[in-house]
Amino acid sequence: MSSETWARISTDTFNVTFFAYLAAMVGDFHYLAFRRKPVWRAALFLTTIGLGSQGISLVTRGLAAGRIPIGNMYEFSLLLTFLIVLAYLGLVEGVSKVRTLGGFVLAFVVVTLAIAVLFLYVGPAPLIPALNSYWRQIHVTSMILSSSLLALGCIITILYLVKDRRERRDASMPPPIMGGAIDLGSETPPHFEAGADEPVGAATSRKGWLPAAAVLDRLAYRMIAFAFPIWTFGIITGAIWAESAWGRYWGWDPKETWSFITWTIFAGYLHARATSGWKGRRAAVIALVGFVSLLITYYAVNLWIVGLHSYAGV
Amino acid sequence: RRRAVCGRPLESGSGMSAPSMTLRQSVALVWRSLRSMRTALVLLLLLALAAVAGSLVPQIGLSDARIVSIFRDHPLRARIYDQLGLFDVYGSWWFTVIYSLLLVSLGACLLPRTRAMVRNIRTRPVPARDLDAMRHYAEVAVPTEPDRAIRGARSVLRRRFFRVRGPNGQPSLAADKGLAREAGSLLFHWSFFLLLVGIVFGKGTGFSGKAVIVEGQTWTEAHASYDGSVREGRFLDDHHTGVQIHVDDFTATYRSNGQPEDFVTHAELLDAAGRPVRTVDIRVNHPAEIDGVKFYQFGYGWAPVIRVEHDGVPIFDGPVVCRQDPVPKGVSALQLPWNCVVKLSSLRPQVGIAFRLWPDSRALYTLLDTGQSMPMLTEFAPVMTYTAYEGDLRADQITSVAVLDTASMRSFDDGALGAGESVDIGHGLTVSFPDLRQYTVLQVSRDRGLWIVFLAAILLLLGLLPALYTSRRKLWVTAEPDGTGSVLKVGGFALQRRSQFEEEFARLVREIGRTGEAKVGP
Ligand code: HEM
Repeated sequence: MSSETWARISTDTFNVTFFAYLAAMVGDFHYLAFRRKPVWRAALFLTTIGLGSQGISLVTRGLAAGRIPIGNMYEFSLLLTFLIVLAYLGLVEGVSKVRTLGGFVLAFVVVTLAIAVLFLYVGPAPLIPALNSYWRQIHVTSMILSSSLLALGCIITILYLVKDRRERRDASMPPPIMGGAIDLGSETPPHFEAGADEPVGAATSRKGWLPAAAVLDRLAYRMIAFAFPIWTFGIITGAIWAESAWGRYWGWDPKETWSFITWTIFAGYLHARATSGWKGRRAAVIALVGFVSLLITYYAVNLWIVGLHSYAGV
Repeated sequence: RRRAVCGRPLESGSGMSAPSMTLRQSVALVWRSLRSMRTALVLLLLLALAAVAGSLVPQIGLSDARIVSIFRDHPLRARIYDQLGLFDVYGSWWFTVIYSLLLVSLGACLLPRTRAMVRNIRTRPVPARDLDAMRHYAEVAVPTEPDRAIRGARSVLRRRFFRVRGPNGQPSLAADKGLAREAGSLLFHWSFFLLLVGIVFGKGTGFSGKAVIVEGQTWTEAHASYDGSVREGRFLDDHHTGVQIHVDDFTATYRSNGQPEDFVTHAELLDAAGRPVRTVDIRVNHPAEIDGVKFYQFGYGWAPVIRVEHDGVPIFDGPVVCRQDPVPKGVSALQLPWNCVVKLSSLRPQVGIAFRLWPDSRALYTLLDTGQSMPMLTEFAPVMTYTAYEGDLRADQITSVAVLDTASMRSFDDGALGAGESVDIGHGLTVSFPDLRQYTVLQVSRDRGLWIVFLAAILLLLGLLPALYTSRRKLWVTAEPDGTGSVLKVGGFALQRRSQFEEEFARLVREIGRTGEAKVGP
């Protein structure tokens, strides 16, 4: 098939993906509010459809360009969101059996995809020589993989902060006379068994909107701890690539600098979790600062700050 | 226990008021605060903040043009930035202070942790009482007598890679697992020192700069050969290497839309004695190496061969390196002509000729006809326009061969000259343009610390994985007779990843129970 045909399939499947995620997001939020199982199932189905068609969109994009589809920011966004959804389905819904976070994750994904298609889109094309390196493929893939996990971790961290605030407020109020959510307390660790996040009692209780803060905290930590070595590996392979392309492994170019900043902040986050007085909310705030830094690394450096990397353009 | 060693919160109110502190006490206090986790955390975040400054303010060596424009447009701001070291953040004293403190803090933290780790490896797990008060506790009944039962439990734990102590006369065991976590964390943190050694050694004994080499020329690695400045390490005592590179040919290929496809320098490498070693193709991402000196494809340009005769006597003959003006925004460098200069300082008055080269003459004609500029992807009937000046070249002030200062000169001729043509410009001078060549720009550098840095990076990663993903677990088993068999009491806890340990604990208890079953009978 010709390059144009592949390119068309890629855009068509992108559209399918976008609307499938959008619909799934609405379904997930509906489930969050009203806890109708069939709605959750439908949303899960739509998410899977979206993921599948996004996979096709990525592959056909690669076929249209005649290379691995990680050459520009449009393609980065496509792979990033693909991995976020994959990690969400696999790790959050799958391993941890937490079902109520899909809407938030998909909201982030949908916005990222919208930005990609509206502002970052470029047609499929071959790469310029400097970008055509084996190490670069490994570097970019690991950076995007860990970005997706970090993004997921940070979305969950935001929800943790919201929930933690609510739990604190509720704890200082007199207990409800009847119904309400079970109190997981600080002594009992959450065990990630099926439905550990499902509140007992009135399904529409506002308290039950999100999993317990402790569950969210643990989940977020896992994502970030999973992502951190991959980010480290990504920086190392990036340095190897830079060495072979420009004769220096580190040159403080803006993209390098920002990936270092992000790395340092998340190292700070991991430390904070082991420092008394910094656990919980303070660590969460560091993770959010790390998230902002991640977004800057990902978008702002390419779009506004110039450097060697930025001839990758958008 | 690691946290007892390193994560200890500062004992600020330890009963001393500042004035009465002895020097020894203050040193101890500084040392203690340096090794607290909180200090490490704050220093890490400070390091990130400093790097943010470095990415927002243009840095020397990265965006010199922007620094110059700040100095021109906002002199006050530029001076303040300059005083604060903001134009060279990564070389500034305060950046050095932050990472030095971080490393000192790291060392202060790692030494006691490493000592504790060694102690921990040497001593076996200690027995414990009150198993039923532990976070995880279970009892299993097995049909064998206590001694056998405990041996069964021992073999299960050994098979699961626990370190086991006991039974020592009594039917009880103490076991632990997961030293890899602390060992990995130590390896990870120590690797930063190795990384630093690699960086300092490599930069200190290395050099890097740019070589401009016209096709057909040989370039020798030496301080004076570099184009522009060369960065030389502080401990570069054996100076340069003297290795040579002979460039046969340079080829740039572009796609029809002007996107670059490939840049190759075909060259031969020669050792310091001038003996040919091997021929190489240097491409972007594919450097060539000899004696630790690496050549990277960096750029290229055009070098017309220009011959000047004065009354029939050749006074200048050779390729002249042409360069481009800074490329304005929104314009491709391929659209711009190339500038070069020939200086004839032996003539009186002195003569300087400025050339403007169009490698593809169609671009010049299109520009003249339609005002549109067109990218020049390959050589096509090249043409040069020129302006000849006479007067004083001011060679004492303008040392660069590429700069012609026409302030005290007057132009006496201009025109155009195609490849293969000659032109008489007056004053008895004939200029000819027999050939057009290309030159390649290679980045030349040597970094002998590379393998140390690489090794440190590998160790860092290897240490990080167990530091993050394994956990320290402790377990105790005792057996008491119970009728014909015995009851095994199992207690234990994990210091990290507690939720996973719950499952592991249950599994271990099941397996320990099963060893008893299998051994039923005498
Ligand atoms: C060079 C900067 C540093 C980086 C990038 C860094 C990074 C890390 C990372 C990623 C971890 C998590 C691994 C684990 O949980 O074991 C960690 C843990 C740790 N770091 Fe650092 N670190 C740095 C400096 C320091 C310093 C200066 C100290 C001492 C004050 C320190 C003390 C610790 C301790 C005690 C842990 C174990 C935390 C725990 O899991 O209980 N680190 N570090």
